[in-house]
Amino acid sequence: MFKHLFKMIWNKKKQNSLLIVEILLSFLVIFAVFTFGLNSYNNYAKPMGIDYQNVWAISYNNTLKTNNGDSLKLFYDNMVDNIKAMPKVIDAAHTSANIPFSTSHMSTGLTHNGDHIQDVNSFMVDENYPKTLNVKLLDGRWYNKTDVGSKQKVIVINNKLKERMFGKASAIGKLYNDDDGKKGVKIIGVLDDIKFNGDYQSLEYAIYNRIDTSSYRWLGKILVKVSPDANAAFESQLYKFMANNLKDSNIEIEHLTNKLTAYNKFTLVPLIILSIVAAFLIINVALGIFGVLWYNINKRRGEIGLRRAVGAPGSSVSAQLVSEAMILATLSLIVGAFFAVQFPLLNVFDLPASVYLLAMLLAVIFIYLLVLVCSLYPGKQASAILPAVALHEE
Amino acid sequence: MIKLQNIQKVYRTDTIETLALNGINLDVAKGEFLSIMGPSGCGKSTLLNIMGLLDEPSKGNISIAEQPTGKFNDKQLAKFRNQKLGFIFQSYHLIGDLQVIDNVELPLLYRDTTAKERRRLATEALEKVGLSNRIKHFPKQLSGGQRQRVAIARAIVGNPEIILADEPTGNLDSAMGNEIMEILLQLNRVDGTTIVMVTHDENMAQKTHRLVRLFDGSQVQ
Amino acid sequence: MLKNYFKIAIAVLKRRKFFTFLSLFGISFTIIILMVMTAFIDKVVNDTYPDKKRDRSLYINKMELRGKESMNGGAPSYYFLKHYVGSMKTPVKFAISSGFNSTNTYVNNRKIVINYKYTNADYWEVLDYKFSEGKPLTKQQIDNAEKVAVITEDMKKEYFGDSGTVLGKYIEADNVKYRICGVVKTLPITSYLFYADVYLPITVTKTNLMSDKGYMGNFTAIVLAANTGDVPKMKKEFDGIMAKVPIPGKEWDHVYSHADSYIQGYLRTGNETNSGMLYAITAVTLFALFVMLLPTLNLVNVNITRIMERSSEIGVRKAFGASSFTLVYQFIVENLILTFLGGLIGIVLSLVAMYVINSANLIANLNLELNFTVLFYTVITCIVFGLLSGVYPAWRMSKLNVVTALKAQ
Repeated sequence: MFKHLFKMIWNKKKQNSLLIVEILLSFLVIFAVFTFGLNSYNNYAKPMGIDYQNVWAISYNNTLKTNNGDSLKLFYDNMVDNIKAMPKVIDAAHTSANIPFSTSHMSTGLTHNGDHIQDVNSFMVDENYPKTLNVKLLDGRWYNKTDVGSKQKVIVINNKLKERMFGKASAIGKLYNDDDGKKGVKIIGVLDDIKFNGDYQSLEYAIYNRIDTSSYRWLGKILVKVSPDANAAFESQLYKFMANNLKDSNIEIEHLTNKLTAYNKFTLVPLIILSIVAAFLIINVALGIFGVLWYNINKRRGEIGLRRAVGAPGSSVSAQLVSEAMILATLSLIVGAFFAVQFPLLNVFDLPASVYLLAMLLAVIFIYLLVLVCSLYPGKQASAILPAVALHEE
Repeated sequence: MIKLQNIQKVYRTDTIETLALNGINLDVAKGEFLSIMGPSGCGKSTLLNIMGLLDEPSKGNISIAEQPTGKFNDKQLAKFRNQKLGFIFQSYHLIGDLQVIDNVELPLLYRDTTAKERRRLATEALEKVGLSNRIKHFPKQLSGGQRQRVAIARAIVGNPEIILADEPTGNLDSAMGNEIMEILLQLNRVDGTTIVMVTHDENMAQKTHRLVRLFDGSQVQ
Repeated sequence: MLKNYFKIAIAVLKRRKFFTFLSLFGISFTIIILMVMTAFIDKVVNDTYPDKKRDRSLYINKMELRGKESMNGGAPSYYFLKHYVGSMKTPVKFAISSGFNSTNTYVNNRKIVINYKYTNADYWEVLDYKFSEGKPLTKQQIDNAEKVAVITEDMKKEYFGDSGTVLGKYIEADNVKYRICGVVKTLPITSYLFYADVYLPITVTKTNLMSDKGYMGNFTAIVLAANTGDVPKMKKEFDGIMAKVPIPGKEWDHVYSHADSYIQGYLRTGNETNSGMLYAITAVTLFALFVMLLPTLNLVNVNITRIMERSSEIGVRKAFGASSFTLVYQFIVENLILTFLGGLIGIVLSLVAMYVINSANLIANLNLELNFTVLFYTVITCIVFGLLSGVYPAWRMSKLNVVTALKAQ
């Protein structure tokens, strides 16, 4: 029976080729949407790594006239201490401009055992950073006073980087060379991964440098963890405090929750637009498949009548038509899968292979369901054809 | 008027060759009403299609109205058919989406005729076949005989020298068939139109000037 | 002839209503997507508020330093603009403004985010902001470093509520109080060269602008020619200046900046090797093709199905003297009629879509609208669509053998 169906499709390959191309393209569209969606969901399902609620980010620019690192450090440390002493502040930390959910990025590279790792996010943070953001230290220790003035350059890395470099083994005490020419940087701690690009973006490699006295000249962010009852009145108080301390500076206070919402839009808006467009395309294709099948069945009334006349039951006729459509879909999917499988093979877009494969599986199921739904009604209609009537028309 | 010389038509598929026409020689004089008869599958429709330049012979020469047609390209063929030939088919082949008058006007669309002139000629042709009261109807609102009369009006509207009719009465009962036959005979008698008709019906064939019988692609009489 | 085709086209449309719905759905949906996209692009690049004198202006908004190992791209500095661009002879006006910066202000325990921008006096003469109250900043105010500001209508509403005039009132930004001397219509953020909530005199900046002699900064210049004919001359003069600008350091071997037309400047990435223009055009074309591909295929499919249904008609037309060419022509005309019908529905639906997008306020103050440019592109799209989806089926149709076509019934 299967061979018989296949023969029928093959003999009509010219009529069917357009339909096959259409199904193939829909498959690719669906595959793209599912890949994008699944990847975003996978990222969304991972924990954020920090408590961003009630964390504010103060932006300023250093307007002090002095270039002396020690006096700058003294000034800014003092300022953070004063902020911490404010009633509704729980903690505060200096950092470089690339705070979580900001569009500012700094990246570097490093070499470990001949393995050169690129696109490592580089952060400048102080001792209060983990407490302010409530991020977990997985292994080793965080920076403390003993690191001041130490000759050995020490570093804290994130978990993703640790797994790339050492797998399951411990990273503590290990050394690597950084791209700026420093040899033998020593890892002292492993920090939990932070999704600093928002809910839907993937985790990235990161290293956390300790702020040294020479960096204060160009640092411009302070993260402040406040208590839940901190309101706009308190915020304006904090603003006044900053403005009075840094007379000529431009001051801005942002909330990490707002920054996260804004950042998520970068992922969600394209996904939503893509989904709307894809949905319309698919409706279009579904109606097209439905129409062509329906027309074919009307045209083949004679053939169907004959099949009924030689003893095929109605269910078998409709099953035949549905199966024909499914074989067409299978042909398209084989070609489509060939294209789709190139993505994990060539590692386009650097997504995990599992995402591609799952997206492919879902897309295959989706297309089969679509074709099934589109062919059920025409098939049912065909089974209702009475042999005598159909043959008489012929 | 029509001159066929040694016409041969072979249908080829991957495996079989079928000889549909085998060395047909036929002369149709101007003003003649010729009928072609023969059993199913003897090649009579193929012969008519070849005369109408709808199909090409595998071998042989055709000339119509003193013009050899072998070297015509698509455009020339179309123009020639448009001006010299009119067709009538067994199943009428009226365009269901068009009203009677528009159906009749069809051949004139492919000439340089003004809309007004088209309308006038089409009305005239419909008068000739006695259907001037059905101008605005659609084909499906007409009986079989009426439909065939519309088809005849369409065939004569361009004032062709030759009309080719493929079993024009085949789908009609004998009363209606006779009606159609009368119209064709009158066209031949009054306007002097050359007519070639394929038919199954011995009675109809007897009313024409000459009868050609085909059997298995060859002329037997 | 055309009237006849029209009749046939309408009759065919009426016959298989499902297929008609299918075709029209595909066409109108494609038109919606393409129209909304065109309207958006048109709004972003073709809206001449506030730069009405765009045809006389060149924009200098990107600066790039390139060395063997590294590159640095961004906006030019005040020093660079003042020192080099300021020496140009051709321009009659020379507007300088900073990029917008954010700060907060707190009114009645409410936080307001303020994006502010520093401007020079020429800025207000080159650009034609629409004032609902007051006047632009004057040269005298700017020269005297007066603490005055022009604010937008949105900012007025947010800061002062629905009160009457705000001229002479004070707005606080960055802990400084500015007297309001004008209120202008708000711009969408997509006009990033002109967007801000509060416009301030360039002389009230807290830092000394000329002290930093680097080329990279946060400023944009617009140079205005006396007439459109002088624009190429102005461009040439700028390129001449750029050729002589000294390389600012050993690590660099090239310094690039351009006096661009608005669109070039808008799309410039600040990276010589990546043409923003090329990216934008490629992306838009690919998207449009992608969106059109499936509906076109669908339409081709439906058209072929429909043609096969009309084989008798084709046979008859051929028998009565229609050449293949005439048939192709007929079918394409029919298909164009169909596409234009779909286009008409598409336009109506796009209006609905634009209304929804505008009221959803996806981008504040960006109001998509239907204008002649958009309409023109829609008509072009319809024609392309009609031809694309009509040519192949028409060709198939004209190749149909008369004898088989007549037999098929």
